[in-house]
Amino acid sequence: MYIGFTCAYTPLALIDAAGFTPYRILPMGNAPDMAGQVLHDNLCPHVKRVLDRAFAHDLPELAGLVLLNSCDAMRRLADAWQKVRPDDRIILVDLPLTSDDSAVSYFGQELSRLAETLSQWSGRPVSSEAVAKSIEKYNQLAVLFGSLRQGLGNGVVRGGAAYLQTLYNLAVTKPFHETYRMLKGVMEEMKNPCAGYDGVPIFLFGNVLPDPEALGLFESCGARIVDEDLCTGSRVFTPIEIREGSEEIFPQLARGLLRRTRCARTLLPGHPGVIAEEVLARAHACQAQGVIACTAKFCDPYIARIPGVREVLRKAGLPMLQIEGDCTMRSFGQHRTRIQAFTEMLRG
Amino acid sequence: MMKQFFDEMVSNIEARLLDHYTARLRFTLETTRLCQRLYSGTHRVALCGVCAPFDLLNAMGINSCYEEFLGGVFAAAGSAGPFLEEAGHAGFLADICGWQRAVIGAAAKGMMPTPDLMIATSSPCTGGVAAIEHLARTFDCPLYVLAIPPDDSERSVRYLADQLRSMVDFVAAHTGEALDEGRLREAMNKTNEARETAIEMFRLAQRIPSPVRGRDLMNFGLVMPLFFGTEAAVEITQAYRDEYAARLERGIGGEPEERLRLMWLQESIQFKHPLIKMLEEGYQATIVVDELNDVYWEPIDVDDPYVGLARRTIAFPFNGPVDRRLKQIKKLVQAYKIDGAINPCHWGCRQGTGARGLVGAALKELDIPVINLEVDCADARNFAEGQLKTRLEAFMELLGSRRGCRSMN
Repeated sequence: MYIGFTCAYTPLALIDAAGFTPYRILPMGNAPDMAGQVLHDNLCPHVKRVLDRAFAHDLPELAGLVLLNSCDAMRRLADAWQKVRPDDRIILVDLPLTSDDSAVSYFGQELSRLAETLSQWSGRPVSSEAVAKSIEKYNQLAVLFGSLRQGLGNGVVRGGAAYLQTLYNLAVTKPFHETYRMLKGVMEEMKNPCAGYDGVPIFLFGNVLPDPEALGLFESCGARIVDEDLCTGSRVFTPIEIREGSEEIFPQLARGLLRRTRCARTLLPGHPGVIAEEVLARAHACQAQGVIACTAKFCDPYIARIPGVREVLRKAGLPMLQIEGDCTMRSFGQHRTRIQAFTEMLRG
Repeated sequence: MMKQFFDEMVSNIEARLLDHYTARLRFTLETTRLCQRLYSGTHRVALCGVCAPFDLLNAMGINSCYEEFLGGVFAAAGSAGPFLEEAGHAGFLADICGWQRAVIGAAAKGMMPTPDLMIATSSPCTGGVAAIEHLARTFDCPLYVLAIPPDDSERSVRYLADQLRSMVDFVAAHTGEALDEGRLREAMNKTNEARETAIEMFRLAQRIPSPVRGRDLMNFGLVMPLFFGTEAAVEITQAYRDEYAARLERGIGGEPEERLRLMWLQESIQFKHPLIKMLEEGYQATIVVDELNDVYWEPIDVDDPYVGLARRTIAFPFNGPVDRRLKQIKKLVQAYKIDGAINPCHWGCRQGTGARGLVGAALKELDIPVINLEVDCADARNFAEGQLKTRLEAFMELLGSRRGCRSMN
């Protein structure tokens, strides 16, 4: 049975340990625009597309839904979902704004509450050992995706960023063993060299961009995505360090989730606006010649921080293109000319 | 320039108060005095999120406000336009909350008070946190973050109470002055005293006809917390209570011939506009309650204030799931015997306006019509006055005919 989720901070390993398959409700598909009946036009298209899918029953059978209190839009999604599908089981897990020790402790307790809820839903207890084992499993996926990202940087992933995105989408919607087997196969394929693509190396960051076609659009415009930091991409799959016997499992999982690559909504109070330096560091690390910021319209965590990122990149001499979309290709396709102009400018 | 502006304004209001004392003017005086202190250059200043514990900060001698308060001040003074433009030039899109864009623009133009420290609060909105973070970076200012849980379980209350204690340590570390326990106790007593008087005042406001005039309590529920913990909060609530009691004693309502009783949802339109006057004069419609004009929290235990402060913060109607807000709205609808509600859907407000459909559905269950106005409460430049007036007129006619039908039945 599937458990629906929508946020990159969701503990997939915990859902797996409870005997469920995590199913990310990606803002894709052809569900008609219905969310506007409940949510205002000014809410991010990510949650509205997810709600459209709920309206249209464009979902597999879900044993429950795990939402995180990560931002206003997600909170409103939780409210609206209960209105649209009142019979669904749903839990809203609070997500602290910081990753300090008290936040880790609190979030660990939230995860423990989630485990109890999942136990009720599945009718069987979720043991710490099972959680640890699932974390190890998902760490294996993270390692495989890490290698693929490295391959992407080296230009040896056949199909480039679009193909990698297809794999990410499968990994968040299919059972673990299917994803694992598939990724192993892709790793084997990578051993056979493919013709490198000579697009301009670009670092892509932002929030929601799950449609492989959108990633393909970049490459058709002369860009080569050499690394990315997206909540529908690499951010979901980063290893979580577990030390046996040193501490209870939930604080460890909480620490791992809170301290992985951050969404803009999570702060380092000692370094306000540090996302700008982080983007610059990531762009330098992958030797990108330019940066594309890709954000869903109305996403406050990102749109309010993009000017700061742009300023830091400007000072570092790294050009940035900002693209806003509504999670559909019809809006994204309109940016083709801008992306082409950007890559042409970078080619000099 | 700003200091001089507020110095003059304070003198002006003080003189007017001597001539004609009203609770609203007393409230305005205190608001202006706060601005005067914020821009004095000599007082300690904190810029915060909406849900910061201002009584705690007042007890520590920190003059503080939430950033949106200043956005509102700029809009009310008719000066937000250039700041909004400045924010736009810097890349802050018009989809971002106007209050926050106004302060970001003002900071870029050197028109914000220079903060000594900043305190972000995760509630009520994500955008507020982002704006505070931006300002903390702009001013190179120490930042503390209060993560406010959505629920009031013991665990959540404890988590927030611990953060509040830690916030006090943070403030003390940056000011060099520890919190005096006596001052804390005194502040909490003042908070409780203001709370009691506010309850009396709101009870009077619920009478039919209501002693409230259209703009009397505009922003009250949002701005009053800035004065919690001080004598000013007690004086303001007493002034309103006494004024309303006197009006009721004389047998007069806030508006002559009150015909329709309205609730104003979410935040107020801060710049000058004719809508409220039109409601009052054209339709004898009185805004008897703003959504946040209520005491929704229990008294603070002066012996253990952090837990009480945490509970109060979590209980903020805009915090957490929308159900909390809907319960609050329903409670006020019934207490004030509302005929209709006006919802200015502040563009850029994800948490408030985002719930518009859910609020509308909850009011429908109570058979209360609501009109949604598409506005940016901070930005007069896009205010479609004619269109809004026409829609409001139609809404008033609807309410009037409903009332007529009810009287006939």
